[in-house]
Amino acid sequence: MSPLRHVHPRRASERGAETAVSAAPPVVVEGLCKQYARGGTATPVLRGVDLRVERGECVFLTGPSGSGKSTLLAILGCILTPDAGVVRILGENLGLLDAHRRTLLRRQRIGFVFQRFQLLRGLTALHNVAVPLQLCGVPPATALVRAMRLLEQVGLRERAHALPSQLSAGQCQRVALARALAVEPELILADEPTANLDEYHGLEAMRLLRELAAARGRTLVVVTHDVRILPFADRVFRLEHGRLQPGEARLVDAGGTRGV
Amino acid sequence: MLALWSIALRTLVAERGKFITALVGVVFSVVLVNVQGGLFLGLLRKASLLVDCGGADIWVGHRGMFNVDLAADIPRRWVYRVRSVPGVAVAQPYLLGHSTMTLPDGGFESVLVIGCERSTLLGNAWMMREGRAADVVRTDGIIVDAWEAVKLGDPQVGSLREIGRRRARVVGTSDGILGFLITPYVFTTLDRASEFLHKPSDVCSYVLVQLEPGADAHQVCHEIRRRLPKADAWPREVYGRMCVEYWIRRTGLGISFGCSTLLGLLVGMVIVAQTLYASVLDRIQEFGTLKAMGADHGQLYRMLLAQAVFMAALGSAVGVILVALIVGAFSTPVAPIVTPAWLVGASTVLVVVVCVLSSLLPFWRVRRVDPLLVLQS
Ligand SMILES: Nc1ncnc2c1ncn2[C@@H]1O[C@H](COP(=O)(O)OP(=O)(O)OP(=O)(O)O)[C@@H](O)[C@H]1O
Ligand SMILES: [Mg+2]
Repeated sequence: MSPLRHVHPRRASERGAETAVSAAPPVVVEGLCKQYARGGTATPVLRGVDLRVERGECVFLTGPSGSGKSTLLAILGCILTPDAGVVRILGENLGLLDAHRRTLLRRQRIGFVFQRFQLLRGLTALHNVAVPLQLCGVPPATALVRAMRLLEQVGLRERAHALPSQLSAGQCQRVALARALAVEPELILADEPTANLDEYHGLEAMRLLRELAAARGRTLVVVTHDVRILPFADRVFRLEHGRLQPGEARLVDAGGTRGV
Repeated sequence: MLALWSIALRTLVAERGKFITALVGVVFSVVLVNVQGGLFLGLLRKASLLVDCGGADIWVGHRGMFNVDLAADIPRRWVYRVRSVPGVAVAQPYLLGHSTMTLPDGGFESVLVIGCERSTLLGNAWMMREGRAADVVRTDGIIVDAWEAVKLGDPQVGSLREIGRRRARVVGTSDGILGFLITPYVFTTLDRASEFLHKPSDVCSYVLVQLEPGADAHQVCHEIRRRLPKADAWPREVYGRMCVEYWIRRTGLGISFGCSTLLGLLVGMVIVAQTLYASVLDRIQEFGTLKAMGADHGQLYRMLLAQAVFMAALGSAVGVILVALIVGAFSTPVAPIVTPAWLVGASTVLVVVVCVLSSLLPFWRVRRVDPLLVLQS
């Protein structure tokens, strides 16, 4: 990865769009295995996962609780390292990156949306959105201008100076979406983004996420239990017994995201 | 870098309760260090006050002289030998000695009688509250310090006392001429001091020297020592420092003050560390989130550091203001709190260092935060 990237995330991603990096699919997983060592015994969670996500695609991962969806997402997001198999994220072979490079990759080119929003309590919506930019070294003033534009996009301009405690769950998740998009990441990973929201706000958040991701050809991987949002997916996979199987793909074609 | 500071400070200030607790810790530290240090310096200043303010450029005494309040007798005729040294403008005998003052209520108090030569009054009392210093030449005249009123039975101008079974009359009170010892100073003339102390009239304790303009104090001292092999002669600053060092060595004062100052710093450090640590424990999820978003340890440490430095700076500022108020309200000649700029500066630097060190503890916890945490339900 170019050392220039950490200066201007926006330019980095735009440039990334034309270079060879983007020619490769953003997510390529082959024979991925992961186990947790607990109390001396190793529990395998992922036993040979294969996954390929094309640029601009929106892929959903479902599966029973404890099947390893979050684990897989953490690996895609360079938070966890695989035990075996090849994982290529945005053209980078994770097995060949040291911890620092993985951190940079995550910081500059991957956006996260969490189930419980995970906003920083002490910061206003605006400052929360600015955090990833500031981690990338964008000066505060510039970061705030860009954060405000993002809040506008998620319809929260008026609530920019509210603290998370003063926002509803739906609003919090919109702030979190804006934050995930702040550095204009090429890959967005969402773990149960609608689980803490009611039906209306869940659909609303998902629609927004899909819309904002599609606008710039970003790739989206969403872990969810929420069948209501499955129509937003291009493809759905089901994680079971440590492997990925194609899941309710029919639903997708029927629901159709293009019309949203 | 700057970017992270703004995040760090905003999250810090957002938790008002914790923030104020830590601030109180820092302020406490700053105040303690300055007041302790100031009291220490004040006490040391008392040790050399007579030398510093007595008006002499050079102090000549018995060989091996080490402390102004504890002087050995020397022949008064040394005065003439000293006067003959080139560069000496004035040389006068000066007598110091312990005696007992009888109080009106029949009690008594040990005093340090100081006699100065009546023609020049070199080494006489200087800061006066009542009366004039020159009045000391009047019949039976003595000057005592107003701050010693309790010990000396509330002496007023005109009141009578007895020292060494001789009559003494208070002709004036000085304002804050107090020595390191608890024994009050009693200023009088040389001859009367000899009587109070029952000393022969041909001895004194020191020869006080004032130099001619342009004369080199060290050179003159050297010449005096050469001409009077049994004498020691020191410039004012040197002898003052000797007096201070004597008490530091003899009493272990430095150690006790040093310890309590260190304790103050330690308390501040513990409070800051504990506050930062508690607020980190409280926000483990948030640190996990930051890590998940790609914050590295360097960035997270800089954020903690920013918080610590900010608390140190703000705490120091408040602390210094408080110290100024305390000095204004509580510093007296009895317990002077001397806070020179270097003390305030050094204590601030020390507190900042302490705060920086104390940010290591929360960082040690943050290092172990697993970003995976935020992905698990
Ligand atoms: N740090 C860990 N140490 C040991 N075991 C773990 C750890 N994290 C997860 N596991 C185990 O690995 C398995 C997969 O966990 P994971 O969180 O990936 O599942 P999930 O599919 O996301 O479940 P859910 O739908 O409940 O979020 C679970 O059995 C879990 O108990
Ligand atoms: Mg999960």
